[in-house]
Amino acid sequence: MAAVLVHIDLDGGEPHPSSLAALAAGRLVASSWGAALYAALIVHDGREQGSADSTAQVMHTQLPAVALTRARLARAGADKVIVAMSDVPVVPLWSALGAAWQAVLDHLRPRLVLFGADAPAAAELGPRTGARIGARLLLRARPITGNIVELRDRDGGYARAQDGGAAVALVGSAPRLPAVLPTRGHDPIELVMIAVPGGGDPRIQLVGSGPAETVHTCGTVIAIGDDVATDPAVLADARRLAAGLGGVVVGGAGAEALARNAAIAPELCVQIGAVALDLAGASCVIRLGGPKRAETVPGSALGALPSPTSVDGAIAGAPGAALAELVDRLELP
Amino acid sequence: MNRPTIAVWLGSAPPARSIRWLDGVLGTAAKLGAAIAIAAGDQSWLELANDRAVRAGLAGLAGVATDLRLDYLGWAQVAAAAVRALGATTVLVDEASRPERAAEVAAIAELLDAAQITRIVALTADGGPGVTVFRASRIAGAERQALLVRAPVVIGVRIAGPALEDYPTPLPPAGMRRLDLPALGLDPVVLAHRALPPRTGAAPRGTIERVADQLAVHLAPRGRP
Repeated sequence: MAAVLVHIDLDGGEPHPSSLAALAAGRLVASSWGAALYAALIVHDGREQGSADSTAQVMHTQLPAVALTRARLARAGADKVIVAMSDVPVVPLWSALGAAWQAVLDHLRPRLVLFGADAPAAAELGPRTGARIGARLLLRARPITGNIVELRDRDGGYARAQDGGAAVALVGSAPRLPAVLPTRGHDPIELVMIAVPGGGDPRIQLVGSGPAETVHTCGTVIAIGDDVATDPAVLADARRLAAGLGGVVVGGAGAEALARNAAIAPELCVQIGAVALDLAGASCVIRLGGPKRAETVPGSALGALPSPTSVDGAIAGAPGAALAELVDRLELP
Repeated sequence: MNRPTIAVWLGSAPPARSIRWLDGVLGTAAKLGAAIAIAAGDQSWLELANDRAVRAGLAGLAGVATDLRLDYLGWAQVAAAAVRALGATTVLVDEASRPERAAEVAAIAELLDAAQITRIVALTADGGPGVTVFRASRIAGAERQALLVRAPVVIGVRIAGPALEDYPTPLPPAGMRRLDLPALGLDPVVLAHRALPPRTGAAPRGTIERVADQLAVHLAPRGRP
């Protein structure tokens, strides 16, 4: 039976919400394709797991801390849980997690590997997994339901049941699934523990950490132009959109302030009205209102987005009305 | 030209919106030691890349002229082959100029059997130019990680250059070093197996329905299942 594998990032001992979204997508796909759904996590076990040149071993011991996670993943749709125990502290870097993750891949040989697009380790593990197994890579994918569920990304790439070859997808969203109640007195699902020797990659050494600056942490930016910054309806809708997308509002009263030429590279920017910010580093730009034809915004730098073709989506006309309609369409609270 | 220790992979197409991030990675490489840029794609892109590399103080560009349209693994094969031919041990990749470039960091590292590190926002040589140990700052969520990085390594960089209103027309590419696929040991026919299928979605989405569809994949997960 083909395997669908989902990487689970832990956030304070709990599965990361983005990983659970990937698991929900995996459940839909696996049920449709007749595949088994595996949820895999990497945990730190300080005991020596063996020398670097020895192979990973399937273990019959259990870690108490994994029991709750196992039940949680079972309720979220997993058929089986794989736990890779690494003697390297878990930080979201390939150099730290790569050996343990490779052991999981070797154990399962999955056809489809899913990561939560916003999970901490996805950026490091996802593309490297794809390169290692020669897979197609889908960025910001979501399940499209039909006779047979398929995964489709924002650029039109897809993974379908009848495709040959493997695929790796960073899942952007998935519909919520009904929770499955645990069965009292029984192990909810099979658990496989793998002890992975070998340590981390010594070429990458984490020597410290601290809080990052705002310009680097804004993964999603809702940018309000000066022309609509005093409109309370626009501000309220912008905040609803930011809450729904997990982003920050920039510009307008009471919002985050960024220097006009601040260098930001968010994953997504929704530009409302004529925004005078450099948004050129954004992976995806949506413009509501603003110039209808190719023209630059006075006083802005290259982030002026001089051509409609330099954005991924654009609604011309009054930005407030488009924003309100968009918020309603997305069914944001 | 001295043998470069640092190569900068600029990708297969010009930046989607601005050359600011392209200038940023080139400026960063120029401060680290002997560096050369690598790009692939059509001639006008190679000329622009060469011009920006020379203006940033690099030795120039090694350009691979090709009209192939490849996925991340296809371009990584081209980049890795060029890096091997040039003998560089450290590869910087401009992650911010185009969204598809971030995935190429891991793919190039995999093909070169190198370490990888992504989302780097500050990078300096530890001990001066010419060394192969770097101090890097990486963004991981709300955290800024401090890292020591040793070659061979592929580093995904998100460092902006200065804001520009406009940039001058590229100079004639006199210093460009031309590489071709067969000389790099790559068969274009085999490489084309990694070609991207034609996509119809290149035009920007222009309706509320299609924009909402685009934003749906960015919605934050709500609550527990």
